[in-house]
Amino acid sequence: MVMQLTPKASLHLPRLAELVRVESLAQREKVFELKLKDGEELGHKPGQFVEVSLFGIGEAPISISSSPTKKGSFELAIRATGNVTNALHRLDKGATVGIRGPFGNGFPLDEFRGKDVLVVAGGLGLFPLRSLINYIRDNRADFGRLTVLFGCRAPAERLFCDELCKWQDCKDTEFLETVDVGDDSWTGSVGVITTLFLKIDIEPSNTYAVAVGPPIMYRFVIAECVKKGIPEDQIILSLERRMKCGVGKCGHCQINNVYVCQEGPVFTYAELKQLKEAV
Amino acid sequence: MNLLASKDNLIRWLDLLLHEHVVIAPVRVQGLTLFQPISKAEEVDLDFDNTTLPPKGWFLPPTETLFSVQRNDGQTKLVPAMVERDALIFGVRPCDARGIALMDKPLLQEPSDALYRERHARTVLVGLSCRQARPECFCTSMGSAPNDASYVDILLTEIEVGYIVQVTSKKGKMLLPESFTEYEGVLPTPPEPRAVPIKDVMPAMKGLFDDTYWERLADRCLHCSICAYVCPTCYCFDVRDYSDRGNIERVRSWESCQSSGFTRIAGGYNPRATKGSRLKQRFYHKLLYFPEQFQDIACVGCGRCIKACPVNIDIREIIDDLQQLEAKSGA
Repeated sequence: MVMQLTPKASLHLPRLAELVRVESLAQREKVFELKLKDGEELGHKPGQFVEVSLFGIGEAPISISSSPTKKGSFELAIRATGNVTNALHRLDKGATVGIRGPFGNGFPLDEFRGKDVLVVAGGLGLFPLRSLINYIRDNRADFGRLTVLFGCRAPAERLFCDELCKWQDCKDTEFLETVDVGDDSWTGSVGVITTLFLKIDIEPSNTYAVAVGPPIMYRFVIAECVKKGIPEDQIILSLERRMKCGVGKCGHCQINNVYVCQEGPVFTYAELKQLKEAV
Repeated sequence: MNLLASKDNLIRWLDLLLHEHVVIAPVRVQGLTLFQPISKAEEVDLDFDNTTLPPKGWFLPPTETLFSVQRNDGQTKLVPAMVERDALIFGVRPCDARGIALMDKPLLQEPSDALYRERHARTVLVGLSCRQARPECFCTSMGSAPNDASYVDILLTEIEVGYIVQVTSKKGKMLLPESFTEYEGVLPTPPEPRAVPIKDVMPAMKGLFDDTYWERLADRCLHCSICAYVCPTCYCFDVRDYSDRGNIERVRSWESCQSSGFTRIAGGYNPRATKGSRLKQRFYHKLLYFPEQFQDIACVGCGRCIKACPVNIDIREIIDDLQQLEAKSGA
């Protein structure tokens, strides 16, 4: 007797997707638009991630950058930095990749509804947050004020520049950005992202702060949020970890008794305080 | 009702099983005792103390293909790996059988791991009670016993006239031959392995995460990962692609939390960058996180890690040290 394992039965087997658009964002960053070949929607929530396969190279966890309100395809914004992402950057429109997921919990949208949302994006942290920002913009009446803070190292590293400008124009939306180091062309703010906190006025008890960025940023952003009076369970962070399976088995993303791929990657500061080695 | 098998009948039964099963049994190989597929029952080593490696590799192989990639006319097709034949693992020690039951918890939890689940469903475990406790054994402190039949389909216990056969599952019952006779005698008294009191270790660990104990212990650790390799409950794995002359496979292999690359992410950040933090992860996972998640300590007391460690890191000492440290700081 030979039992056949059906593709659906194997959690390691990706679905095939086609690259339908590749666009350069900055020196090492591109956005990839993908369509699942089975014709289905990815069905994700802002803040979730997928495992992207390049067959023969490997698989890497990547956050989803488009809002689920965008139908028919989804976008992944990626910096070329490891084996898989460098190989992905060499691909053109029409190439086939593998997709598993979406995985993870995503941002707690239900809790955000009716509340003000303060988005704090450090560098590539903008990629998963763009999914949330565009989701809020497409469901504008469901949310209160939207404040977006974006910081990156230099003007040349600004991402999604066209969209950043559009966000500025939206009703009840405030957009502030800064760069760590300016140049001759830059007329905007200079300084680390926490300097932007001086410029905003929020109603802390009615605000959810959502921050995504490098680990070093979290320590300082958390302190600013706490200083503003935002309750610890309304400070939301997303963690980046090495991951292989996406379903709590391979062990790589474990922090204490928590698997970031399943119970995260999105946590409240109140939760993270209880986890050693988290931030 | 237990049965009795003479040694001759046992050997004949094993030969019979070889027709329909891949039979995996302890075999002497260059001074080691390893679980290997056999072609004749007489190859089996019935007098081993314990195997060098646990039988976990027959459920979660050291390396295995998850799927292969076929490309024709620009079309990509993924072909998942399959489990080909029913298997029978003969001579499993009760502690190692418990190890499989513990690995089941993460790997069979939904969404379950398909290859592991298939192998599990199609494998019969025939256990063999221990006649003596080895110096490194402490199974009774970890929820098992030298004659524990809980996690096998059939348990054999050697006595003077042959083997007592206890059948604990339907799967096991279906395989029994008529040559085994009824046995009404008592089971022999099992050997007594060393006791390792563990009662206070979980509460103790909660307070010792930031203790200097871990960096001190890690100073002598070589991070060779042999402890994970020989452990019946270590289940962490890596997934990689291999590409050879157009043949592409996605392969999974054992991996250990002791390697510095285990948690390092593409940007270079490593949440467990120090030796101490990695060694700590091993013991916290086994003695605190796994019990918090699945109610059982992820150690079966086989003692292989103690025997294999080149720098004598001993989980029994650590369990004792942690409870003493906490008692001291609490006093």
